[in-house]
Amino acid sequence: MGGVIGLYAFDELWRMSRFTYYGLLALQHRGQESAGISTYGKNLISTRKAAGTVDKAFSEADISSLEGWASIGYVSAEPLNGPEPVQPVTVNSPIRLTLCYDGRVLNLAGELKGRREDEASLVATMLSRELSRCNPLEAVEEVMERLIGVYSLIALTERGEMIAFRDPLGVKPMVIGSFGFDYGVIASESCAIDVVGAEFKADVKPGEAYVFTPYSIDRRQILPARPRYCSYEYVYLARPDSIVNERSIYDVRRRIGRMLAEECPVDADVVIGVPETAIPFAMAYSNATGIPIEMGFMRTGPHVRSAIKPTQFERLVGVQLKLNAIRSAISGKRVILIDDSVVRGNTTKNVVSTMRNRLGVKEVHVRIGSPRIIEQCPFGVEVPPKDELIAAHLTDEEVASVVGADSFHWLSIDALIKALGCSKDQLCLGCFTGEYPEIVKEALSHG
Amino acid sequence: MVKVLVVGEASREHAIADAFARSVSEPRVYAAMKNRNPGITRICEQTGGSYALGDFTDPSFVAEAAQRFSVDFVFVGPEEPLFKGVSDKLNELGIPCVGPIEAAAEVERSKAFMRRIMWKYGVEGRLRFKSFKNVEDAVAYINEYAESVALKPARQAGGKGVKVIADLQVYLSREKREVKSKHAKTISEKYMAGYNDIDDRILIEERVEGPEYTLQAFTDGVTVKPMPLVQDNKNAFEMDIGPETGGMGSISGPGLLLPFITKEEYDESVRIITKVVQAIEKETGVKYRGVISGQMMLTALWGPTVIEFYSRLGDPEACNVLPFMKADMVEVSEAILRGSLHKVKLEFEDVATVVKAISPRGYPDHRELAKGHPVVVDEESIRKAGCKLYYGSVDLKEDGVMVTGGSRVVEIVGAAPTIPEAEEKVEACIKYVRLTDGWGLFHRSDIGTPTLLNRRIEQSQLVREVYKYRVSRGLIGKTLEWIPGRGRIETTF
Repeated sequence: MGGVIGLYAFDELWRMSRFTYYGLLALQHRGQESAGISTYGKNLISTRKAAGTVDKAFSEADISSLEGWASIGYVSAEPLNGPEPVQPVTVNSPIRLTLCYDGRVLNLAGELKGRREDEASLVATMLSRELSRCNPLEAVEEVMERLIGVYSLIALTERGEMIAFRDPLGVKPMVIGSFGFDYGVIASESCAIDVVGAEFKADVKPGEAYVFTPYSIDRRQILPARPRYCSYEYVYLARPDSIVNERSIYDVRRRIGRMLAEECPVDADVVIGVPETAIPFAMAYSNATGIPIEMGFMRTGPHVRSAIKPTQFERLVGVQLKLNAIRSAISGKRVILIDDSVVRGNTTKNVVSTMRNRLGVKEVHVRIGSPRIIEQCPFGVEVPPKDELIAAHLTDEEVASVVGADSFHWLSIDALIKALGCSKDQLCLGCFTGEYPEIVKEALSHG
Repeated sequence: MVKVLVVGEASREHAIADAFARSVSEPRVYAAMKNRNPGITRICEQTGGSYALGDFTDPSFVAEAAQRFSVDFVFVGPEEPLFKGVSDKLNELGIPCVGPIEAAAEVERSKAFMRRIMWKYGVEGRLRFKSFKNVEDAVAYINEYAESVALKPARQAGGKGVKVIADLQVYLSREKREVKSKHAKTISEKYMAGYNDIDDRILIEERVEGPEYTLQAFTDGVTVKPMPLVQDNKNAFEMDIGPETGGMGSISGPGLLLPFITKEEYDESVRIITKVVQAIEKETGVKYRGVISGQMMLTALWGPTVIEFYSRLGDPEACNVLPFMKADMVEVSEAILRGSLHKVKLEFEDVATVVKAISPRGYPDHRELAKGHPVVVDEESIRKAGCKLYYGSVDLKEDGVMVTGGSRVVEIVGAAPTIPEAEEKVEACIKYVRLTDGWGLFHRSDIGTPTLLNRRIEQSQLVREVYKYRVSRGLIGKTLEWIPGRGRIETTF
């Protein structure tokens, strides 16, 4: 998975690379392994990609040397030298362009077989060819007709166009904003729009496309929207200061916290949230029950999203550094411990055993703000293979014993849907149910 | 038989000519314009008037036309003829003119003059500013002080060249400072290039934010008769995204107010305009006769705050009010000229209105692309739908073909009890305007919709809370700061 941003100035006086850099910092939680920035100006596309978090990947010299009044950027949860190249990817002909997208295209496996090209480059080539044949909106339509998959995509062309479109299911988020009379912004989440000093305007709707040119901004519903919003965005992926699909992430997480309190009540002395994602769940849980919330942990070093780290070693380092317990908040108490999700169970086990064995708690009741994760994500979210997923194999009682808890509860799927305030058929709940949007089968039948 | 000459060729002047044509005194309407605006041309023909084609900003051309047609008075639509002394020239010849003389039109021509008199005469709603006679001084100032500012050509330059930069994130300041410096150069080299009629080149003003609105008023120099409030939408594209235009459409009503401006704020805006009219007379010794419009913003600093003044009606704002004016346009004009405006009952129909401009692709920044495309308009269908149409940047060629001039082609006006209802009426008419060569037109489908209206209401509530707080703390018109090492600094302005 990843995060995308595109900035487009209406006046060539602007240099957008630093804006892109800060926008990517705001999207860092969507991918911390590598990052890339492309800029456009004076008929030139320049690109810089590197490993690591945004602040490590780009030096001051990189930012200063990336010239141009339009720019796109990408943060990726995949490493620099992994099987897929880090985006933005660039194709040179027929129309030179650079693009990046959050998501995954499912029906290109056949075309990719036996070739050295990768998925993103193939999409770029496809868009480039169509752009050489017809106007940008028609080109987008051609490409969207051919792609089966999910994508929130932004491209920048040698003709000075910025093209953004979102697949008809809108699984991945995408929003638009602007700054006065000076520039427009498209990004994965609204927090990036805030950070670049612009004003959030609206979602890029599922199936919708925007084309920015030096003399126009065109918006068109290319394919009818059939929303299947990713529910995991709300539970874990997106930032709480973002508004995604017209919903405040923070509000949804608070509702989830209340639901957890209603679904599986238990008496205790203190509510502790595992930083940082689970804090809003824990606050709402505490407000709903009257059980006081305490600050349970302090972080050491930079913020790391441990769940999407690629190796077990890195995940454990992430968790252990992030969770130094505040002894007096926890010791000797009956604790309700709230976390956002449990994938393999290692993190939770680590935390609970520290609390039990080193701090001395009377009871630990674990409450999880997401339903059981039982399947992988076909759309690029880093969920491990099924044989690693604790919820796919163990009963709740077994999970409690494995992690060392007195009780263990996952949010129910119904409660999640209720917290999201939309109907079940507008959501992708695949990782919780194993039932994916139709396009997954469709893509299989297309080979 | 009354004869009136209308100067100008845009939608605003079409609406002015139309207002005259509705007068009970059935005047003959004449026009001075460069291109043949099809709407104005038709009104001239239908009322038994005529038109002169030429540079309508040139005083001798306008004076010659006024004499040739032996008109009773002249009504000037746009600002540029006023800046060049059209009104002065006509007065010399004894031809009455609705529109201030050059010295009074200075309130629009020189933004520095406008700010100076607001400060000198203590008019509320003023902003801190600095004016510069050369780029070097402006750039030096930007590099040292300027944070969130508006950079403007010191002279009204067709509404172009203004850049408002909110510089609130220190991590983005370097880029923004660079843009401000470069833009100061652009103002001097591009936007101010043709103008040597004022000393100041660049104006830097403190940046304010809030919902904008226009208050247009007739004045004879003593009495100020305000019209209903109008809000224009300046971004080229939907959701307030895109470069600045002359205005993509505007809303008014229901009645005198807008849904996001209170009666108290309206009255305060009228007071500000009245004080400025008086200040102009004190400063220049001349009575202001014509239309004066305050381009206002509701800000945290003052509540009603002056962004700019127009020495004429706004465009598109004129099209929101003139078609619904109950008073007789000839009577109003004569009252302005005689100094008897206090006797006129200036009333408007109690409606909400929406105006949408339709522009060719390329407008506003690539007008060479927007120019020269043949237009057809199904006027009959627009009329049947209950809307009015005013022609803008369109030239009616000899062969009867209408061709775009590069700016807004037409403005369509609808009225209804509420703004969203008026919006729907106008939106249904957009399809009746087409270019026949395949080039694209665009308009803003969001102007007047509940979504955009709610955004303005939210924005005004936010600002209103802050300025009311400042009123309650006695902070209106001053700032109170703690500057470490220097102490408590109170600035009154």
